[in-house]
Amino acid sequence: MKTRGMIILSVAVVIGLGGLLASLNLNTTKRQSLRIFVHDRKQALGLNPGQRDLEHMRIMTGLKDVSNVSCRHCHGIELEHMRWNKPRRRHPTPEGMVHSPDGGGLFVALADQNQVVEIDTATRAIKRRATVPGKPIGLAIAPAGDRLFVTCREADTVVALNTARFEVIGTAAVGISPVGVGFAQTPNGDRLIVANTGSGDASVIDASSMTELARVNTGREPYGVQTSADGRLAFVASRLAEMPHADQAPAAELTVIDTVRTRAVKRYPLESAHLSESIALDANRGWALTPMVRVRNLIPITQVARGWVMSSGIAFARLDGSEVVQMPLDEANAYFADPADLVLHPRGHRAYITSGGGDVVTVLDLDRMFEWLEEASPAARQRAIHDLELAHDYVVARIPTRRNPSRLALSPDGNTLYVAERLEDSILLIDTRTLETLGRIELGDGGADDPIRRGERIFTTAAKTFQSQFSCRSCHPDGHVDGLTYDFDGDGIGDNMLDNRSLQGLAGTWPFKWNGQNPSLAVQCGPRFAKVLMRTDPFSDDELKDLVAFIESLPPARSRSAHLTELTPAERRGRDIFFATHTPDGEGIPRDRQCHHCHAPPLYTSRMKTDVGTRGPTSLIDEFDTPHLLGIGASAPYLHDGRARTLEELWTLYQTNDLHGVSSYMNKHQLNDLIEFLKTL
Amino acid sequence: MNTHPSRPPLPSRGLALALILLAGAPTQAAAEPAPDLPFPVIERFENFGPDHGIPASKVHAVLKTTDAELWIGTWDGLCRREPSGNFRRFGPEHGLSHKMVLCLAEDQQTGDLWVGTMRGLNRVSAGRITAYTQTDSGLPNNVIYGVAVSGDRVWVATAAGAGELQLKTGTWKIYDHNNSLMHEPWCYAVTEAGDKIMIGVWGGGIVEHDPRLGSFKEHRDPDRDFHFDLVPDDGPINDITSWLAWENGVLWQCTYFGMSRYDGRNWKTWVEGKSPLLSNFTQFVWAHRGVAWIGMDRGLSVTDGITWVNYLVDDNDQGIQQIHRPNQPVEIKPMPTALANQFVLGLQVDDEEAWIATSKGLSRGILAAPTKLTRLSEATPDQRNQ
Repeated sequence: MKTRGMIILSVAVVIGLGGLLASLNLNTTKRQSLRIFVHDRKQALGLNPGQRDLEHMRIMTGLKDVSNVSCRHCHGIELEHMRWNKPRRRHPTPEGMVHSPDGGGLFVALADQNQVVEIDTATRAIKRRATVPGKPIGLAIAPAGDRLFVTCREADTVVALNTARFEVIGTAAVGISPVGVGFAQTPNGDRLIVANTGSGDASVIDASSMTELARVNTGREPYGVQTSADGRLAFVASRLAEMPHADQAPAAELTVIDTVRTRAVKRYPLESAHLSESIALDANRGWALTPMVRVRNLIPITQVARGWVMSSGIAFARLDGSEVVQMPLDEANAYFADPADLVLHPRGHRAYITSGGGDVVTVLDLDRMFEWLEEASPAARQRAIHDLELAHDYVVARIPTRRNPSRLALSPDGNTLYVAERLEDSILLIDTRTLETLGRIELGDGGADDPIRRGERIFTTAAKTFQSQFSCRSCHPDGHVDGLTYDFDGDGIGDNMLDNRSLQGLAGTWPFKWNGQNPSLAVQCGPRFAKVLMRTDPFSDDELKDLVAFIESLPPARSRSAHLTELTPAERRGRDIFFATHTPDGEGIPRDRQCHHCHAPPLYTSRMKTDVGTRGPTSLIDEFDTPHLLGIGASAPYLHDGRARTLEELWTLYQTNDLHGVSSYMNKHQLNDLIEFLKTL
Repeated sequence: MNTHPSRPPLPSRGLALALILLAGAPTQAAAEPAPDLPFPVIERFENFGPDHGIPASKVHAVLKTTDAELWIGTWDGLCRREPSGNFRRFGPEHGLSHKMVLCLAEDQQTGDLWVGTMRGLNRVSAGRITAYTQTDSGLPNNVIYGVAVSGDRVWVATAAGAGELQLKTGTWKIYDHNNSLMHEPWCYAVTEAGDKIMIGVWGGGIVEHDPRLGSFKEHRDPDRDFHFDLVPDDGPINDITSWLAWENGVLWQCTYFGMSRYDGRNWKTWVEGKSPLLSNFTQFVWAHRGVAWIGMDRGLSVTDGITWVNYLVDDNDQGIQQIHRPNQPVEIKPMPTALANQFVLGLQVDDEEAWIATSKGLSRGILAAPTKLTRLSEATPDQRNQ
């Protein structure tokens, strides 16, 4: 009786609330939220939606069967409620490091806190702080030590700091999302080379006037920069492979720039490799060295248990341009994922390389490596990366670190190696003579009480995969894409390539997976994923919660310059096309083929599966998850199988009878405008 | 429409010698600088063809970069001259969007080479070729007749309008009959003109674009007659613009019906028969130090607007040099060597040499030492409009 009474009371409350809705003076969003609350309560009580509700849902979705549709598919979505838009704890994460030429100071970029700090290397204490807005990340210092240059990833600038006053003395606008920066003294003046990850180029800056002299095309997502001793050349390592066709092996690029003539003079393709984030030069022996990940994405990813899906190595590029040799860092049953930074000891006998996923610094005997390189036959050099017995010959030590070691800095005398333990807010000091640790510089408490920080630790660790072969980050650097397609199980495996989707801006865009089968990120990253891909035990519930918290904290990628504030005329015209309900001739566009019907703002997804005629030659299904469009300009390739290498190809090569939006009326002007708008999302 | 006006017969070698004798010029004079000419003359040609690795007889375009690399665009690929003197070919197997290369331009800031082909635009940068087509980019059309680089923007003249690629943002803009003063979208040429862009429209004259203002101005043939220049010097000689060149405020226009020059205020036109211009079918013009080097179906004309030097190939493949001084008899000389072919498709000239793309190979014009370099700007207005 009591239960029945409660039900009756609940029904009465719900009905009463519904009746109150019309009389309350609420704005549209709040009214919708209240309606959803009422509707949810109705569903919870087993009450069916009314005929009017069903009709509304059918009209708005274009579906006859709306049994899997809820109000939340369309309503109650506000960007300000997305986790990535909410305030979160900011950590003193060491993202960039450079030593002062006199050895007295270590400069550290704390991107998350918009600060650059100087650490007294004698006392290991922070000596000075400078506020540098826009996520300062990359550092370079003039040989005289008087100027420090800082790239600001979110501001699209590089700033000059006077090290005496420790204040900003100049700013130059550069390309999108600058990271790496190198300083070069040339006969024509001081130069900065800035790797712009988002625009795929490098800015050559006059360091005196802080003006951009040229923008040199590089590989995709240029990241690390190293200048030659004479300042005439700059070497730029790129993270992503040039956009290959879905069935082609990727190859990232090492670009050599003439800093005087401001032009690329050499490009080294790194065969089947990518994710190079730094570079070092051994001018005496005539080689450039860059860490890399050898990726095997064209064969089914279930091979993890049979060996490897990716492995870490170093690419040795002869400075005369004649060859690139890839040598392994991994061992047969032990992998050291996500090689990040690489520095050479001043005397040239050793190299140090961080494994961001493996939590080690690997110490390499360069003499032995070069000896091997000189003695090996061309065929042996070509096969070296596949021989995981080789590393035994030249790995001197694997020095454990705290979580996620990334940037490295050597003291000018080469005796102390500084290792940024990124997700612990600390810097490890290693004596390079004894390879003993000398203690740590603690920049913060590590943030272990922050679920987002804990989630990023899970995201970046390789400890959760079979033999520590890779981490989540290995395919999703910065939570974004690696630009590749994988033979994955979205719609079958074996020649069924699947586009790797960005995790940035993913919050609220359920369901997940290209086939839309995973209703939440927790399911997506859950036990099945662990068994199929990681071939190991699944994350615990707490780990999963933290991992989801981290992923949901990632804001959408950006493919538009931070210097652009308002929409351009082309972008405005494109917006009109995106939201068009009629063609320019006045003909109505069916609701379910209007762009914004499936890609509904603010997330630009309907959160439903749709058949828009994009089934590929090897696809096994017709309906695919409607991807959100936030940051779409930065996440090529496109379609579930990565067939479309550019946004244009969605409508030029792979349009299917106006199913994927009515676009056949568009001329080239309109298509270009539409794409310009999409790149603003 | 007659785009190939009947041509007068070229002088045979015998007639040429007779003319030379009549002109009182020594027969060996070709190796010496011609006296009193305001610009350098070519004393002989070196020719390059299949023996030097050039894969096709038709060489459509030639470009010597600021780094002194020589590139040519041929019917069958893009070629770079190697230190050995031979040419190395790059084709679709190297990433080029199509083998038929129509035009070339250099980005002098970055050294990148932009290559227009019959199917797409290509960027050649330190050995890497990146292709842009109308299906994978905002390129208006795959047929690229002309390409130019202006600051951080690449301009293309295509069969469906002019395209502008902003290199820093990757943004494309298209200009055609829908959004500009363009009679039709078939564009043949584009060139930087100071802070403006000049677009040669095949049947629409010249469209002058000011990117700062977003404005357009049209230069059309005032008499609108395809066959005759009814009123000389009243505007572009014809609307069928086949090429444009701009230098120091002076625009040169090639058409299939003669040649024009525009200094920002006045137009000057030349047609075959009424001027030393070798042929009305002008195909390409290169401006250097106030002098126009004009390629056409009957050879090469060089003029500062006052003095003319023509380079022809007679029926016996003998190279002929004609010098037209104002108010003086024509001086005609045989040359030790001739152009690779009389149909000139592309040119590039600097102070050191002239490179000439022809319908049958590539020629290098060896310049005689100039006796007097006169810039057009130094000429009097009367001389300029003579």
